[in-house]
Amino acid sequence: MTLVVAFARALLGLLTAFGAGVAMSRAFTGGLTRREKAAWSLSTGLLVQALCLLVLLALRVTPRALNLLCLEAVVAGAVLMFGRRQAGVGVREESLKVSGWVRAFVVGLAVLAVIAWLVFLVGALSDAMWATDFIAFWGYKGKVIFLSSGVPRRLFEDPALYFAHREYPLLVPVSLAALASFVGEWNDQALAILYPACALATLLALSGFLERRVSRLAGAVAAALASLCFFLYRPGNAGTAEVPFALGLVLVCCAAADAMRPEAGTNAANVARLAVAGLFCACLKQEGTLFAFLVAAAMWWSLRRAPARRRRLGVAALVIPPSLHWAALYLLRGNQTRRDFDMTLFEPRRWLDLPPLIALVLGRMLGTEARQSAVALAAIAAYLFMTRRGILDPFIPVFAAQLACYAVAFSVSSFDPMYAVDGAFRRIVMTLFPAFALVLGARVGTFGAAYRVPEWDHQSSEPEAIPDAGESSSLFSRRAGGPHGAGMTGKIRKWIAS
Amino acid sequence: MKWAASLRASKIRTGIAVLSLLVLAVSLAGSFEPAATLARWHHLARTLGGNARPEGEATGFWFDPDYAAFLADVKKRTPANATVAVIVPFRPDLYRYQAYYQLAPRRAVEDRWKDEAAFIATYRTDAGRGPGGTPIVNGQLWTR
Repeated sequence: MTLVVAFARALLGLLTAFGAGVAMSRAFTGGLTRREKAAWSLSTGLLVQALCLLVLLALRVTPRALNLLCLEAVVAGAVLMFGRRQAGVGVREESLKVSGWVRAFVVGLAVLAVIAWLVFLVGALSDAMWATDFIAFWGYKGKVIFLSSGVPRRLFEDPALYFAHREYPLLVPVSLAALASFVGEWNDQALAILYPACALATLLALSGFLERRVSRLAGAVAAALASLCFFLYRPGNAGTAEVPFALGLVLVCCAAADAMRPEAGTNAANVARLAVAGLFCACLKQEGTLFAFLVAAAMWWSLRRAPARRRRLGVAALVIPPSLHWAALYLLRGNQTRRDFDMTLFEPRRWLDLPPLIALVLGRMLGTEARQSAVALAAIAAYLFMTRRGILDPFIPVFAAQLACYAVAFSVSSFDPMYAVDGAFRRIVMTLFPAFALVLGARVGTFGAAYRVPEWDHQSSEPEAIPDAGESSSLFSRRAGGPHGAGMTGKIRKWIAS
Repeated sequence: MKWAASLRASKIRTGIAVLSLLVLAVSLAGSFEPAATLARWHHLARTLGGNARPEGEATGFWFDPDYAAFLADVKKRTPANATVAVIVPFRPDLYRYQAYYQLAPRRAVEDRWKDEAAFIATYRTDAGRGPGGTPIVNGQLWTR
């Protein structure tokens, strides 16, 4: 089989997943922008495709393109026939009105993002996937699943596979195996097409979400920034879970930000998006569960004045699917020792060993990684200082807490913590960047704006009267000069905008 | 003139914020490797045109291009459900990982589990000098 044919078949597999995702996500993406719908369709489709493959394997049917295609078509058809479409709450329908130079700038940023994505596309597809993590476990597990037409117990029980992280989630290996079923063979160059697709979906989700919630410029800025993150979108990350995981983190933030809108209420579409995003994240990496839980905590805090039912529902939607996934994985793999971590450090008798280790790790992070990225970190700090609060600001503590958890995890590493920091810290942190670009992009809507703290007021009869700061006071927002621009500040904004 | 002062302050803040974003973007783009990207593009164009390079030249075998041919020969000579002990250099660990990956779905094991293996393949280690093995590409294979 030539490489062109292999690529075409892998693309067919991706399009099949996407098609199933379109049908499935139709129930909860009503009212979102097309770009957001595309991102949700891909993530939902990957989940559906993985599930379909596992069903075929459980039925002892050899997974082939036709089998998977038929099963996914049946699932999509059933959902289309019986599913009910529900629009999310708080979606705006009015057309965007931006000035000429802003439009030109947005187009320029979009072109930049496309070029950066093409660079990643070429890098990812130019060679067979070669990352150590791909060879040692992500790709290895996928190849074993595909070639054995099953999920052999030895993946979880064989002591010889001590290095293969038997406790890791399986969405990446199963997705690779599903695409290989379409290709008809394990072609580790053609399968890499999954990664540019996930990168594209991430950029689409970023730009679509921020365009809807803040402004077109905000979306373009965030997408351009994320696309320039060449340390994440590089050939060495094709084959690992990092690139799909970045998509999952972005989707969790988008879903949570929508669910936290005052007018969102207990809208089923918003709740479903939270559940899908949380599940997608948890199925990709272990820290996906952690991130979903941290976002749930941020939601719980932000909605503290909201009706209790709404708060409970939102948090449950984020917490329950990852928990169920963990339980299912536990049943499949049994109790696995975590070879990466020395858990005895958490026992009371060793508590005193922890502070020096954490200090050592923090020192290393600050002395090497932070120093190397000092310019970027200073730019982020200056940007956050100079701009007003945005709609994604409640998640800033989530990123900080996630980083703190990484620091603790490195501190209790079974191996040399310094080696772990040097080898993995930057790669892991960079997966957070596209989601953090949402926070940065949301603040673009506050340039030159009067400061106003977004506040929940559940007693308000008119939710739109309590808008987010990033929306109401945005120079470049779609509502610039609109009904919220009253008073002197509004006049100034109109004047600047003109 | 309070509003004028506010406007100036606002413009300055916006200017610094835009500058910060620019610095961040440039800093992020610092990892871009134009020459490597161009080389990858040429390579992709060649492989799409049907000129696939030998597996040993793939990036995954950067540590030892000869190793690919050895694994390919072991793969050819052993059944898919076999357990194969691979005795290979300990460093880098990619020797072992590539063996497990390339030989899948065979069960590949390290030296310490060789008693469970039906085949023992050796590559550039002292164990490869023992008698009785069948010479294969860049190594030896024992059948038990």
